[in-house]
Amino acid sequence: MSAGVRRSWIVLGALLPLVLLVLFVGGVLFKAQGGFAVLHVPRGGTTAVVADAATIARGKYLAQIGNCTTCHTVRGGQPFTGGRAFRSSYGTLYSSNLTPDPETGIGDWSVEEFRHAMRHGVSRNGLLYPAFPFANFSELQDADIDAIFAWLRQLPPVRTEPKPNQLEFPASQRAALLAWRMLYHRPQGQVRPVDNADPASRGRYLVDGLGHCAMCHSKRGPMASLPANGYLVGTQILGQNWYAPALDQSSLEKWTVQELADYLRSGISEKGSAYGPMAEVIYTSLRHLESGDALAIATYLKTVPAIPRRVSSMERELRVANAASKFSSPAGKKIYEQYCAECHQSDGRGRGSDYPPLAGNSQVDSDSALNNIRVILSGGIPPTTAGNPQPHSMPPFSEKLSDQQIVDVLNYIRASWGNNGSGVAADQVRALRGSTLD
Amino acid sequence: MKPNASSVAPTARPLRRIACGVALASLLFAGSASVAAQETIDLKERLAACAACHGDHGQGAKGAEYYPHLAGKPAGYLLQQMQGFRDGRRHYPQMIYLMQFMDDAYLMQIANWYAAQPAHAERAADGTQALDPASEARARRFVFEGDPDKALPACASCHGESLTGLEPGVPSLLSLPPDYIIAQIGGWVAGVRKSVEPDCMAKIAHKLDPADTRLLASWLSRQSSAAGARPAAAGTRKLPMACGDLPHEATMNGASAARAEVSK
Repeated sequence: MSAGVRRSWIVLGALLPLVLLVLFVGGVLFKAQGGFAVLHVPRGGTTAVVADAATIARGKYLAQIGNCTTCHTVRGGQPFTGGRAFRSSYGTLYSSNLTPDPETGIGDWSVEEFRHAMRHGVSRNGLLYPAFPFANFSELQDADIDAIFAWLRQLPPVRTEPKPNQLEFPASQRAALLAWRMLYHRPQGQVRPVDNADPASRGRYLVDGLGHCAMCHSKRGPMASLPANGYLVGTQILGQNWYAPALDQSSLEKWTVQELADYLRSGISEKGSAYGPMAEVIYTSLRHLESGDALAIATYLKTVPAIPRRVSSMERELRVANAASKFSSPAGKKIYEQYCAECHQSDGRGRGSDYPPLAGNSQVDSDSALNNIRVILSGGIPPTTAGNPQPHSMPPFSEKLSDQQIVDVLNYIRASWGNNGSGVAADQVRALRGSTLD
Repeated sequence: MKPNASSVAPTARPLRRIACGVALASLLFAGSASVAAQETIDLKERLAACAACHGDHGQGAKGAEYYPHLAGKPAGYLLQQMQGFRDGRRHYPQMIYLMQFMDDAYLMQIANWYAAQPAHAERAADGTQALDPASEARARRFVFEGDPDKALPACASCHGESLTGLEPGVPSLLSLPPDYIIAQIGGWVAGVRKSVEPDCMAKIAHKLDPADTRLLASWLSRQSSAAGARPAAAGTRKLPMACGDLPHEATMNGASAARAEVSK
């Protein structure tokens, strides 16, 4: 045996454990994301749908509550025909056509294939990006998925030209999705049981399943994953300059179950109004909630244990500085009196839900001033709903107030009348002036 | 001193009864009490966000002269613009942001409210120097005669001889700053402002050359309208081309023929 060959054997012998380890870990992770079973899309079943009117009506309601419309419709476009762009640091994704067109929609799908795509994020077109909340939809009962399918299948079919995603490498590679799933996707073996008669159980089902609240309200980990310790802790929404507040028993302490349930359906409350993405969710989805379901969601959210959120050192410093200036912030107080007090009142108590109180407002007495800055810059109108058919509106101040004036007035508001919100710095305001509005 | 209730009662009671009767009858005629109640709401307080750029009553705001006034414009026109921002026909981000989660019922009330406010009656251009005579003549020809060579109808043929618009869907062209008018024509050319199909203004905008657009904008901004000038009443004018769902020559003839058919 020559020296060269012997050396090769030695190298191979040394590498072998490493190779075996990689294969072993890969195998474990592959199994953890669901193994081969989830990658196998059930094809060949009957594509005919038989459903009675009650099932179809139920499916329509569930699709509304699941808010399929928002992601699968472009502005002014035919509902459910897809094509809406989702921008993030990974690039742009486009949603798909859910109408029963046989080629570009789901007209040629069986209910088994639809269930598989909803629960596992795998369809005939391959692995789906986790912008589609399949981890949430894996919670759904068969009967609910089937009803949604029955409703979608009786929509008028619309042929569309699918838009290709524009993603950065490696997210652009569908193979990278398998790696992502191996690292972060952990399906449960069985669908968790739901007790529809128990509001907290029904509420959990709606929040974690159809409602997919975590997609905005949970803090993301590496590669946009949603780790358990970020569950509903509140975070800046992926790809958007809006903050989704924490939803847990301590953050929602000031809300009664009824107030929260009413807010979900009306978009207004005496604790704050819905603007930005939440206004959209209410307009396209939650305003259709049956009152029992709204109460169930509110009941459940008020049982979610609070996970302590790490406050950054800058936030802490600003908060201390803020507390110190609480009684000596003449600039902010003056601006408040000039521009805000007419509606929100000098004592911050506002006027009912027309001009929400700023004293004790969940968005003001909070760790993020992001939404406050956005609403001062661009104003806002809560969505029209049955409970609020003629909304009042907040004027935009981007032309009237400088960055520093917005800082002054917000630091005054966020530290007055019992509020203990984090402080605001001018560069935050400056950075948000160019935010996309549409 | 408190007024003595018994001294006012004999005359006040029957009057009050009549007033109640009238109020009740008007509610019944309005079809539903809630509709009648909604129509009487003063929307000024609710529309604070709009006032920042368009003024308290839609008559324009100081320091925001670029933005069009809304007061006294035809309600149908205002409604379609708000729907246009919501539904993707118009692309002004701040307006899209504010209009996107509003249903037709509220937008219609907002449109009716602004339409009922007294129209803005000032000239948009300040220090108005007159145009030179040749430009003045060319602009007037465009506005009142159009350009037959390019098959461009006169502005006045739709917007009215006084250019104050036509109910229910043609807006006034007066009291608008020239850069706003130029931006709208440019928007139609670039496809970022669209009207309900058939989009007559897009067809017109594509035929206007930039120099004439500037001239027209400049001339229009120098005109003043009489205080309280209203759009012409619906049906007083036949539009020379098809514009959205507005009646024009062909459809109006068809409609009057149909009405004649029904009345027989």
